[in-house]
Amino acid sequence: MEVLILNASPRAPKSNSKKYASIFSKYCKVKTSYHNISKTNHLEICSYFENYSDVLLVFPLYADAIPVTLLNFFKTLEKNPPENKPTVSVLINCGFIEHYQNDVAIKMVKLFCKENSFKFGSVLKIGSGEAILETPFKILAVNKIKKLSKSITNKKYAEFKVTMPLTKNMFVKASTSYWISLGNKNSITKEQMETMKIEDK
Amino acid sequence: MKLILSDKPLNISIENKEIKYIDLSSLKITNCVGCFGCWTKTPGKCVIRDDATKVYPYIAKSDTLLYVSHVKYGCYDTIMKTMLERAIPIQQAFIRIHNGETHHIQRDVAPKKATIIAYGSLSKEEKVIFKELVSRNSHNMNFESYNIIFTSEENLQKTVQNEVAKWKY
Ligand SMILES: Cc1cc2nc3c(=O)[nH]c(=O)nc-3n(C[C@H](O)[C@H](O)[C@H](O)COP(=O)(O)O)c2cc1C
Repeated sequence: MEVLILNASPRAPKSNSKKYASIFSKYCKVKTSYHNISKTNHLEICSYFENYSDVLLVFPLYADAIPVTLLNFFKTLEKNPPENKPTVSVLINCGFIEHYQNDVAIKMVKLFCKENSFKFGSVLKIGSGEAILETPFKILAVNKIKKLSKSITNKKYAEFKVTMPLTKNMFVKASTSYWISLGNKNSITKEQMETMKIEDK
Repeated sequence: MKLILSDKPLNISIENKEIKYIDLSSLKITNCVGCFGCWTKTPGKCVIRDDATKVYPYIAKSDTLLYVSHVKYGCYDTIMKTMLERAIPIQQAFIRIHNGETHHIQRDVAPKKATIIAYGSLSKEEKVIFKELVSRNSHNMNFESYNIIFTSEENLQKTVQNEVAKWKY
């Protein structure tokens, strides 16, 4: 058994999804192989499906749904169905604190699986996924990723979720400091970031 | 201002200057790469200077909008979804509590009455997912109210005309 990990973040090489995937690989008891989905490698990735019992899709929530990167890959996979159909699991993260904001995107993956005869496996939904790995709460995410990997290797598919154990108000404060510090790295002040103008108008 | 944003050309005549019609399929719009430049480098402006930068100011300005999109896996299909992802410059990085959940603060974005015409041959299940999607969008995209209309590709033209006819000038 081997797990094929596919990163469908539009910024895969520098993504949080990459970090989540590498934690998964570190703790997974079976061999894993990892690939970024790019605009040009869809067919190559479709061909990998023949050799795996399990696929883990790792991606962010984008505009309340799956990112275009994953949507477009699904469309190619649908047109080029592999003979072997691995079980598809999901590790999704979103920026907001409520992990349930990921639910609609997960339903889209499940629908894709149903329409194309893939079995759906496990899912881990992460809230506050932009920042959780940079905080002391990292351990909570790591623990759930371990559980996710165990559920896949044991074929006891299940659903897991994790977010920062903060009140929403505390989360708003923490995220405000987080974004101010990112702006400051580009010499942009909080006031500049708060502009109400769009395209300078 | 009223906006019609479509993922395919529509055969509609619009005399009213209040209405802006944009056919996304005629524009060059690449996908968001998640750099957050629009929040932390050039706030309010996307660093990718393609046609999307001409569209999101209209999304922000409109108080009445009509999205016309094909649906795939319960999601807006590629053309519309690509544009919606590219529209995050109209929000700030900063988060607030809105309707009891965490969401971004909007820049100068008018509250909207939104109509979404979703076309294609959708299963019951797919419609349910799409409805949930729009319900989530409503919190993030400043929808004051919204209405979803499902239709087939064949009836699309007529459906759009009916909706636009309801707009009082
Ligand atoms: C275009 C765009 C749209 C996003 N939409 C949402 C959203 O609807 N809800 C949410 O909680 N986070 C949203 N996010 C935040 C990402 O999910 C979050 O930053 C995530 O950690 C990115 O993961 P990645 O680094 O693996 O790509 C969005 C980010 C971008 C760039």
